[in-house]
Amino acid sequence: MHVVVCIKQILDPEIPPREFQVDPQTKRAVRGRASLVISPFDLNALEVAVQLKERAGGRVTVVSLGGEETPEALRRALAMGADEAVWIRDGALEATDASGTARCLAAAIAKLDEPDLVLFGRQAGDWDQGLVGPMVAEALGWPLVTNVFQTRGENSPLELLQQAEGGYRVVAATLPAAATITNHEANVARLPKVREIMLANRKPITQWSLGDLGLAADEVAPRVVVEALAVPVPEGHCTFIEGETAQEKAQNLARALRELKVI
Amino acid sequence: MDFELTPDQRAVRDLVRAFAREEVAPHATEADRTGQFPQGLLARLAELDLFALPFPPEYGGLGGDTISYALAIEELAWADASLALTYAAHCSLGAGYLHLFGSPEQKARWLTPAARGEALIAFALTEPGGGSDAAHPQTRAERRDEGWLLNGSKVFITNGAHAAATVIMAATRPGGGKGGVSAFLVPAGTPGFTVGPQYEKLGLRSSDTAPLALEDVLVGPEALVGEEGRGYEQALAVLDGGRIGIAALAVGIGQAALDRALAYARERTAFGQPLSRFQAIRFKLADMTTELELARLAYLKAAWLKDQGRPFRKEAAMAKLFASEAATRAANAAIQIHGGLGYTRDGVVERYWRDARLMEIGEGTSEILRLVIAREVGAAGATPPPDPGAGLRAGPGP
Repeated sequence: MHVVVCIKQILDPEIPPREFQVDPQTKRAVRGRASLVISPFDLNALEVAVQLKERAGGRVTVVSLGGEETPEALRRALAMGADEAVWIRDGALEATDASGTARCLAAAIAKLDEPDLVLFGRQAGDWDQGLVGPMVAEALGWPLVTNVFQTRGENSPLELLQQAEGGYRVVAATLPAAATITNHEANVARLPKVREIMLANRKPITQWSLGDLGLAADEVAPRVVVEALAVPVPEGHCTFIEGETAQEKAQNLARALRELKVI
Repeated sequence: MDFELTPDQRAVRDLVRAFAREEVAPHATEADRTGQFPQGLLARLAELDLFALPFPPEYGGLGGDTISYALAIEELAWADASLALTYAAHCSLGAGYLHLFGSPEQKARWLTPAARGEALIAFALTEPGGGSDAAHPQTRAERRDEGWLLNGSKVFITNGAHAAATVIMAATRPGGGKGGVSAFLVPAGTPGFTVGPQYEKLGLRSSDTAPLALEDVLVGPEALVGEEGRGYEQALAVLDGGRIGIAALAVGIGQAALDRALAYARERTAFGQPLSRFQAIRFKLADMTTELELARLAYLKAAWLKDQGRPFRKEAAMAKLFASEAATRAANAAIQIHGGLGYTRDGVVERYWRDARLMEIGEGTSEILRLVIAREVGAAGATPPPDPGAGLRAGPGP
């Protein structure tokens, strides 16, 4: 079983809200003092992949497209149990969007040694669009199962446990297939051991440019234009509910809440 | 000059930080209350290879550097100083002694399980009465046909009750001074070797601190660690390294106090505005931040010198002296910023003060460290310098 996990390195979403800023000119988040981390759902995807490898054997390849600090995320994935890492690195990708990213990832997956399963976090922790997984599956022409939290079995068809209202649904997926992963107590990312961290820091990372993937810069040009980007300003209003008696106040409060469509 | 951590150092720090925040911190207040020894957390430290970190690969270690090790201690101490002390005393002092001076046989027998976290090794130097003078232990080791006969007592020994074996400092040539001290590795359960009841301590309450008694303890010749008569200088070398760990531990406690104080100052309002708007509070936070960052730089520099194989006695002493006093000041300020809440158990920051206080005492009091530093810079002049071993302590003893 060859499992590929696509991960994204993002600004740590756990930083205090007051420290999060966007640059209205470039329409990007400001790095500030925030550290870069693997997007949370991608960590769940890595955990699902490593658990599958431990159960069914095989190997895990982690792929990420990003800037100069991407190796740190890839090494974290290697320490968690991935066997190989691919860094898609090209200056032309600086401004790309979900569609460009998906094209690159699809080309990289096609170039890898016969993957059976490709996993994605269900959405990135920065833009929360949830586009890349479905787009890659579409580009590869593979079946896609979304909101998966666990796998069962060892071969094709592989059982994918998909989160559903009040429970879960078991989907038998003929491989190769793609899945987006959501968080669940069964896939909390493990802490790597120091030994694995040190080994991961000494493993080679494969680098592929757009040329290596057979793509031209205009194929990964952004298709979405961000018109404006701003941090919402929370506003607070205070209304005193009047009334002669407690009952009347309660009735007025209920009416006010209904008008606000809160209840 | 390069202030950047290596990928290994950064990854170890981040791993221990995540572990400490997710798995250690939630139980620290309860551990302080019950005084329960952190057996389960030590098992997790072993699983994560943290016991292997500072020891060589030949004995199952990872050959990690001192910087990584010290960063790990700081992160553990941020969450629970008792756990950090348990770890640091084992790695720096007990197992650290064997690492530096043990024979290949002793290392194979004891350092290997120590690096796997399966056996804690304690280090026993401090004695009741005048026994704190490292050059003149009252504990005696007499040569016998079978090996050595040990008699004496030790106090304030960290991990004393949980250690699988303890390095005991004893006089092999009474009155021989520095040249008359030797180290012996005594396994727990050796006839005549007993552990007394736990001390009721001000802080670090879930760490194990106990007195030891040796009554006609007979050990074989293989129990001698290093050369006979070299124990004093060995102990000083072990303590030099240990002080880097204690400095890191102090910074971890101080940083936790600062983080709590900062969060509280932002959230708590008085006179219609957050405490953090008041200059009196801001100055405290600025001083805490500055002192702790400088303390961190000091222990990292000492660790770096040690990793380079260069002399670091003075730097380790300065780091430990400054970091421990800075940590107490930070914890004290955190209490002040918290006001009445700071004086209660609910406020948590009082634990930081109680825990930090020991850092000024264990592994060389602030007074002894000042003597060490003064001697290292030649302030003793032509007159005989004060004995830097005088008053040196093993473990957290006062």
